[in-house]
Amino acid sequence: MRPLFLALAAVLVTAAGTVAAPPPRVFPYPYEKHTLPNGLTAIFVPMQSPGVVAYYSVVRTGSRDEVEEGKSGFAHFFEHMMFRGTPKYPQAAYEGIVTKIGANTNAYTTDDHTAYHLKIAAEDLPKVIEIEADRFQNLAFSKIVFQTEAGAVYGEYRKSISSPFALLNERLQDLAYDAHTYKHTTIGFERDIMVMAGQFDYSLSFFKRFYRPENVVLVVAGDVEPKATLALIEHHYGSWARGYVAPAITPEPPQQAERTAEVTYPGKTLPILTVAYKGDAFDPDNRDYVAALLLGELAFGETSELRKRLLLREQRVQMLAASIPQNRDQPLFSIYAMIKKPEDIAAIRDEIYKTIEQFKETPVDATRLRDLKRRNKYSFLMGLDTPDAVAAGLARFISLTGDIAVIDRLYAAADAVTAEDLMRAAKKYFVPERRNVIVLKGGQS
Amino acid sequence: MSRRLLLLATLVALPLFAAVPRNAAAPILLPVAKDPTVSFRLWFKVGSQNDPAGKEGLAALTAAMLTEAATQKRRYDEILDQLFPLASTYGASASVEMTVISGRTHVDNLADFYPLLRDALLTPAFNQADLDRLRSRTLNFIENQLRFSSDEELGKAVLANEIFAGTRYGHLGAGTVTALKSITVEDVKAFYTAHYTRDNVVIGLGGGYSPALLDQLRADLAKLPAGAPAPVPAPSPPALSGLSVTLVEKPTASTAISVGFPLGVVRGAREWYALAIANSWLGEHRNSSGRLYQVIREQRGLNYGDYTYIEAYPNGGVRMTPPQNVARRSQLFELWIRPVPHEARHFALRAALREVDHLVNHGMTAEQFEERRQFLKKYVLHYAATTGERLGYAIDDAFYGLSEPHLVQFRRLMDELTLAEVNAALKKHWQLGNLKIVAVTQGAAAFADALVADAASPITYASPKPAAVVAADQEISTFPLRIRRAAVKIVPVAELFAQ
Repeated sequence: MRPLFLALAAVLVTAAGTVAAPPPRVFPYPYEKHTLPNGLTAIFVPMQSPGVVAYYSVVRTGSRDEVEEGKSGFAHFFEHMMFRGTPKYPQAAYEGIVTKIGANTNAYTTDDHTAYHLKIAAEDLPKVIEIEADRFQNLAFSKIVFQTEAGAVYGEYRKSISSPFALLNERLQDLAYDAHTYKHTTIGFERDIMVMAGQFDYSLSFFKRFYRPENVVLVVAGDVEPKATLALIEHHYGSWARGYVAPAITPEPPQQAERTAEVTYPGKTLPILTVAYKGDAFDPDNRDYVAALLLGELAFGETSELRKRLLLREQRVQMLAASIPQNRDQPLFSIYAMIKKPEDIAAIRDEIYKTIEQFKETPVDATRLRDLKRRNKYSFLMGLDTPDAVAAGLARFISLTGDIAVIDRLYAAADAVTAEDLMRAAKKYFVPERRNVIVLKGGQS
Repeated sequence: MSRRLLLLATLVALPLFAAVPRNAAAPILLPVAKDPTVSFRLWFKVGSQNDPAGKEGLAALTAAMLTEAATQKRRYDEILDQLFPLASTYGASASVEMTVISGRTHVDNLADFYPLLRDALLTPAFNQADLDRLRSRTLNFIENQLRFSSDEELGKAVLANEIFAGTRYGHLGAGTVTALKSITVEDVKAFYTAHYTRDNVVIGLGGGYSPALLDQLRADLAKLPAGAPAPVPAPSPPALSGLSVTLVEKPTASTAISVGFPLGVVRGAREWYALAIANSWLGEHRNSSGRLYQVIREQRGLNYGDYTYIEAYPNGGVRMTPPQNVARRSQLFELWIRPVPHEARHFALRAALREVDHLVNHGMTAEQFEERRQFLKKYVLHYAATTGERLGYAIDDAFYGLSEPHLVQFRRLMDELTLAEVNAALKKHWQLGNLKIVAVTQGAAAFADALVADAASPITYASPKPAAVVAADQEISTFPLRIRRAAVKIVPVAELFAQ
């Protein structure tokens, strides 16, 4: 009945740890990871959550994979199409099931991955496994349905782009990248969204290339019994054929010189200054990268000296923050400032540069560094309070590495960051030739 | 583990006040032994309804002056420094009738966190510099963010103001531009003294806390001044007569529409749960199974989603399940049509109102009723996933005076309510002849003319549609709205929330 079970490449990780010399455990729950012969990985995180389960299907494809010209935004559009049914469970039947079981279900797309998630009662898990396995293998939609959904996606773009930050990020990525697909945002260029209705044939190829078991990781967290759940997953996903075709993503050539641009927002807003540096891809073994993750918070975070001065004491900015993302490829390490007076933009920009120079030359205070490490751990732990939060929190790491073991490695690496590492990272990344500067101003301001 | 024991010993050793303040409402407690965190929700019975005339925004600004500003012991940047390693924070949420000061920390950090929270409540500094900063932020929110960066949130804010115009609910919680500029430190101090009293607060505490912490909290809150402010009468929203329309004119790429009317039934009433079934079927929030979503988005691709509500639902654009601690004595029905292309605005409005009209006049079918009550019975399980959220619901239960918790009652009534009750409640409470419509749009004058003329609004699509959809479009495009010229006003966006 279960020959497959014996063939599974199963890894069991317990709270005590079974791997030689593992990094200290940060992730607080025991979990099991199994990979089926067809490459599909399933991760189970049993945790106290009476009667509730979170079921995530993480597809390691996002807007990063949109390599063809004119196809920006397609991963996100395709996420919408995944709700359009199969021969066995047409859209209305699928909807009827998730409605009947009172599932809280949705999906989202990022630059690096797409996740389909359901919060359900534990008793409904077998049915959910069946219908999710079915749509990932047997999706079928008509051209008419596809074309109509293109209108809904355009509506999503329209409702989002009224935010100045959405406009800013769209222009920033376009400015900073020449070759890599991070040139476009996840929702895509408007010009591509407008013609999506004509891409029906492409959508079929998209499904065939990317929605394959070796490119998908399931996360089941909450009131879950791993053994029985694994058996159901084997049964329903076991015949899913391999066939993932990795996209040929062009690496971004090194940036040679600073780039600058101005953007006009059609409404009214305080000016927003963004200073964004080409960083490095996620890699817990890259000490510079891990140091940079901490540097953003130390230099520009809530308790940074610069923010205290500009936002609290001098009240010259409405907002100051840094974003050091975790991405599969080279992201932008960005600093954002919303500035109260347009005539102050250049001075604030220079304050940011001055701060960066200080972090290159002056070792950070040991207490601040220790406090940040402590903060990061507690922040992570406190965020893992529901099955959904756990599964959602794991999804990004799965997108990056296909696994969650990296979490402990990342926190161990962050724990080891020294003041010297921070100075070295500042000198490496925060240099003019990696820099992209955009100023957004309101057209009606 | 040793750290936790040490913490408990510390708390037990703190001076305890035996006396419980007079008139204090019973604390709302949700102990969860295995929860490694402690959640605080301190409910003060004050909100924007308590804003003095000409000082709109004072309740929200006072709350922010407690939780995002200096105390008498520490500058605000020092507070941030101390909170930083704890990965903990506290904050205030001021709604129409409630202000809840909430915070959450890991038990390891409780001994460091609690004094900061306590000082914020008991010994705020009320510095001019903090007031200037927070006021500036609020003005930026109104003048830039709300007016320009999200047309749908703008439309919903205008709708709420219009429905409750002339009542204590009838202004934006953030305030008005003129009023905010007039608020002084003295205003904040006076408001705090009048409303943040020991007789006007209910303790909410959840998670892995100790009895000693509760005692300490009680003792500390007893240090607040005595007295309770005079109750504010429940609002009587003005009766709507026919369909009235407010068009917000601004440069924008698409039209956001909100429709609503005052609703005289609140949770706890059996009829409310009957309406909840119909409402969920028509437009469950951020759920693709709702009828409006199916008609406007799924079948026609006109926008990103369409939803309905029988309770105020602030920040709907960023949350998936209902908020807690925005309880109020007077509610509204709200229909939210996410931005549609301008050329489809008249059609989309008609399509939505035609569905509501059909639901009220014909009622739900037995099959729809059955599916929906089954759905809700499980779906509400997801409404309160965390200790903090459960605590929030418990506080709301106290607000509404419910002896049986709302979510328990919700599930029970899904088994007890009948289809006849649902359809009767619809006819009784959803008065479709009297509606308020708000559209944030460009070219408002032309839209006004089309609405008043009840002109046909045929729709065209970039792609073919099934015959049934095309046939329904014929009816939708001429669905009569009967809007009088005098019931339509056009407001430039810059005038909104000015005073």
